Amino acid sequence: MSKLDVKLKRRTALKIGALTAAAVAVGVPMGSLKEASVKAAGTESSESKQLGFMYDQTKCINCKLCAKACKETNKWEPGAEWRKVYVAEPASNKVYLSMSCNHCADPACMAVCPVKAYTKRDKDGIVAHNTKKCVGCAYCLYACPYHAPQFVKSGTGAVTKCSFCAEIQDQGGKPACVSACPTGALTYGDITELRKTPGAVAPEVNGLPPASITNPSLVIIPKV
Amino acid sequence: MHLHWQWLIVIYLFLGGLGAGAYLTSYAAGRGWLGNSPALQRAGYFIAAPIVAFGTVLLVFDLGQGLKKPWLLIGLLSNFSSVMTWGVYILALFICVGLVVAFFVWKKKAIPGALEHLGALLAFSTCAYTGLLVAVVEAIPFWNTYVMPVLFVVSAISTGLSITVLVGNIIDKGVHADEYKISKLHFCLVSVEIILVAFIFSVANAGGGVKAASAAQAISGGLALWFWLFLVVLGLVVPLLISAFAVRKLGRSAHTGHALHAAAGSGNTVALEQGQGLANVLLLSDALVVLGGFVLRYVVIFAALPIWNGTLM
Ligand code: SF4
Ligand code: SF4
Repeated sequence: MSKLDVKLKRRTALKIGALTAAAVAVGVPMGSLKEASVKAAGTESSESKQLGFMYDQTKCINCKLCAKACKETNKWEPGAEWRKVYVAEPASNKVYLSMSCNHCADPACMAVCPVKAYTKRDKDGIVAHNTKKCVGCAYCLYACPYHAPQFVKSGTGAVTKCSFCAEIQDQGGKPACVSACPTGALTYGDITELRKTPGAVAPEVNGLPPASITNPSLVIIPKV
Repeated sequence: MHLHWQWLIVIYLFLGGLGAGAYLTSYAAGRGWLGNSPALQRAGYFIAAPIVAFGTVLLVFDLGQGLKKPWLLIGLLSNFSSVMTWGVYILALFICVGLVVAFFVWKKKAIPGALEHLGALLAFSTCAYTGLLVAVVEAIPFWNTYVMPVLFVVSAISTGLSITVLVGNIIDKGVHADEYKISKLHFCLVSVEIILVAFIFSVANAGGGVKAASAAQAISGGLALWFWLFLVVLGLVVPLLISAFAVRKLGRSAHTGHALHAAAGSGNTVALEQGQGLANVLLLSDALVVLGGFVLRYVVIFAALPIWNGTLM
């Protein structure tokens, strides 16, 4: 009898142990992943600069010159769309949104990419994607809330996305989309400064996802 | 928005869980938790690594660059913050350990204890990984829940048990396992699975927004046939009823288990026929559990809706 008791107890203990291990195995990564990704993103130093876009919905006339300029400059492969002008329904409301990659402070794409195709530049916070490393697993497409990574499986089979025209910026130029915008609806600059602009808000308007997921470097001046 | 993860990913996640579950089944059988069945102690170990390896190869086919530039695959080991990277490590290690264990079993040598335990740990990690892969994606609200990996683990063990019983039946035909204990375990696993499925889908359904839209695709939308017929009815409810019936029947006829075996040895033709009939029903149930495990992953992957669908309000 006592033997059986011990056995039962041992078994219960084992079970509890296994369950705890399971919970830890599942729970710990979930919690630590976000932290890990923040660290990976190099945002520990609040000093590091972060460039971002500002988009003024009251100024945009839906001419799509930003997207056109981007396409010509960066030669998207057919089927890819680095920058896109979204139009709200019904179109008569004239509410638009020009969006590309938001070079997030906490990029979900970068956290999930198994091959480290994404890197975040320290000097300006640009989230760069290295197509030469990308294996085309499409994980980042699911992770990015803004549909920024573009993947044409039947094409190159690797992801491409907005680079913030990093090369042009390195030579002192402006991003092609910003240069092309005739009304000044699309501008760029240090995101901390942009956020001080009167009327500028985080991109949570118009049904966009919560900014808390990736902390995107984009501010919108919404059309009320 | 266009979905990119298709069939091959579904099969990959399914096979990962199936193989790992098979390993855990033989591991449990080896500890005597499933009665005294030599077939179960071997079958799972034989099939675990090949199943997982096959699934992993499918993943390579699904990658945009898998066949074009295979040398890039080495990069899959580089980002420790990516669950997919963890998965590649876990799968690779599990396949290696699984193959060595299978070799010992094949040579009829004793498996080194540490190796066998390590394999079990890796098998469990494999099951958890397949669920964690989707659970950490915040931009897919339907996936983004702690319960998802738990469901994947339970389902993996359930399908692994079934495939091991099925294969064990082929390699050791006529040598019956302890149907009583196994049916009881099946009953528990499927019950938990039903609770988890009901929980995940009803919570998502009540959660509003994209989450609810995802759940609705399964409950009443384009995936409804898969969800209700193949997952709920055939994959869960029918196996639940069959295992409940078997537990009652076998529990009554012989508590010590080996009831069918006993019947076969008794020369009692009626008992023998009944026993054979029940054995066949149990095998059918096992096949349904495997099908259900596959459909579960199909529904979960294909019900994914992004948090923002690219329309403005
Ligand atoms: S917008 Fe998407 S792709 Fe760009 S940095 Fe943020 S998460 Fe990554
Ligand atoms: S598709 Fe390419 S960039 Fe995206 S996560 Fe996979 S390897 Fe990384």
